[in-house]
Amino acid sequence: MLEIQNLTKVYDGGTVALKNVSFTVEDGEFLVVIGLSGSGKSTLLRCINRLIEPTEGHIIWDGVDVTQLSGEELRKVRRKIGMIFQQFNLVRRSSVLTNVLSGRLGYVNPWRSAMGRFPRKDVDKALSCLERVGILNQAYKRADELSGGQQQRVGIARALMQDPRLILADEPVASLDPATSHSILRYVEQLNKEDGATVLCSLHFLSLARAYATRMIALKDGEVVFQGLPTEIDDNRFKEIYGEDAIQVEIR
Amino acid sequence: MSDQEGKDMKGRPRGLLSSWRFLVALLVAVVVYAYGWRETEINIHTLITGAPDIVHIVTQIVQPDLLARDKEYQAAYAEFQLPCAATPPSQPARSESEPYLVLSHTCGSTGEPLSVEGFNFRPNTRGTLRWTPPVGTQRSLQHIDSDENGHFVLAVSVPAVEESEQVQEIEAELRWNVGIPYPSETLRVVLDKMVETVFLALMATTFAIFIAVPLSFLGARNLMGGHRGTVILYFAVRGFFNIVRSIEPLIWAIIFAVWVSIGPFAGVLALGMHSIAALGKLYSEQVESIDPGPIEAIRATGANALQTVIYAVVPQIVPPYLAFTIYRWDINVRMSTVIGMVGGGGIGFLLIQWVNLLRYKQAGVAVWAITVVVWVMDYVSGVVREKIV
Repeated sequence: MLEIQNLTKVYDGGTVALKNVSFTVEDGEFLVVIGLSGSGKSTLLRCINRLIEPTEGHIIWDGVDVTQLSGEELRKVRRKIGMIFQQFNLVRRSSVLTNVLSGRLGYVNPWRSAMGRFPRKDVDKALSCLERVGILNQAYKRADELSGGQQQRVGIARALMQDPRLILADEPVASLDPATSHSILRYVEQLNKEDGATVLCSLHFLSLARAYATRMIALKDGEVVFQGLPTEIDDNRFKEIYGEDAIQVEIR
Repeated sequence: MSDQEGKDMKGRPRGLLSSWRFLVALLVAVVVYAYGWRETEINIHTLITGAPDIVHIVTQIVQPDLLARDKEYQAAYAEFQLPCAATPPSQPARSESEPYLVLSHTCGSTGEPLSVEGFNFRPNTRGTLRWTPPVGTQRSLQHIDSDENGHFVLAVSVPAVEESEQVQEIEAELRWNVGIPYPSETLRVVLDKMVETVFLALMATTFAIFIAVPLSFLGARNLMGGHRGTVILYFAVRGFFNIVRSIEPLIWAIIFAVWVSIGPFAGVLALGMHSIAALGKLYSEQVESIDPGPIEAIRATGANALQTVIYAVVPQIVPPYLAFTIYRWDINVRMSTVIGMVGGGGIGFLLIQWVNLLRYKQAGVAVWAITVVVWVMDYVSGVVREKIV
């Protein structure tokens, strides 16, 4: 169980990205975070694995306060949290296989990995992860030779390598076309349903959110303005979250 | 100038020339350039009248001393007395096969015409007629061109040398090439120094890489922005780069020539010093412009700092680092050709020596060697850079 308690983030320039955010995620949920650009979705996800340091508040994951950890302990928590990014964040000049293997860095011997060596079983695992996302034949290509959808599948394979118990997906399909978006989100859904990983996923499109979420929260100006089931978001709620001028755009 | 100002009261656009700001700027420019013209002593006239002076330098440089051939010599001698005494020297002995000289007379006074005739010399060959007084130095009198029978007649006048009771010697020497051409001594020395030059650049660039790479991380703002201490280190490293880079390699060469004495090691240190700063600055700017996305992603997997650098930073900077390094090596080869002029070893030392001795045929060899090596390096580095970037 993941508990976010009174989370606040104020950036150096004084921008308040998160204001006293609190919610709970049960194990096995597929929680979608919606909200406008700049509403604090990315900051929220990055605070959970401490890529961004929260200003105030606590993040309790399975009884451990993540905000109090540092060094080795923090890395041990991070390796259990897979992350998927809008811009895929692959090392473009490295091979697909190396990118996937890097998901294992939290587990392997740092000195061996610094020399570029991974245990045989990790290489086998990486190849099977690539097979699972359907791009095994691309394993030895450079990451930047792949299409956007394929690159995001590499990102998913990298997260899979971590044997994650929690997945943080930051706008995983915002750079992709609608058809590819669904195939990527189906892989994330598989991680959730078959591997039992809890998913926190931020999305722009409400239609996508409705299709995959077991529960949703909405952020507006850094505050939680909605928590509930996808079906509970009607036109009024929609205007509350996205503003009066917004129009719903469907992605099927 | 905005549109408003460019129009007069009636709204018509005014010409550029009628704007007072333009006229002031024009006036300032005229004054500046007129002063600059005077200050730098620009003189178009000497550019034209002085041109003939360089003709013989250029002709020697374009005919470099590349090849040499073995020479053979043939000489005959005659004796002359200045002034005439009781018994003038006898004419040289005549021979059927050996070359010999015949003088019109064997004693006389300075300035008198004298005819020198040669027989049995090698046909169609060039040479020199020389006069060797018993006291003082030998002098050349005239060129010799033997005819198809190996015969020549030269009309000279008795040179103004010191008079003596001892005989004056007249020598006719013909020279010709034999065998096939081979690389001249100059060419061999130049090639030897050129190898030194290329290695000088290699050593300097290599030393610079080893120091500039670690420093470049300390000089990258995105990596050093964390604490007060690291920020101070960042400014120190950046300051070092800027100061060292602003001192030209030639100045460094002068410093190191005194420090470690004249020679290629001073050149290695001078070029290395400048390259550390130049590469360090380029490298750290490259580190600053890397994509932060992969760093974030690798950190998120639970990787430690070393793993993050190796998996997220290094792959992004290796190709540009290689490109900058090859470019620098290219610059260093060019610089190492001149660094010898101030005692830094390499080909520049030979070049400046030959120029000072007015030996332009030799200097020409050095100039051509530099041109060829720089051209080849330019081409090779261009190809390599294209392949990896």
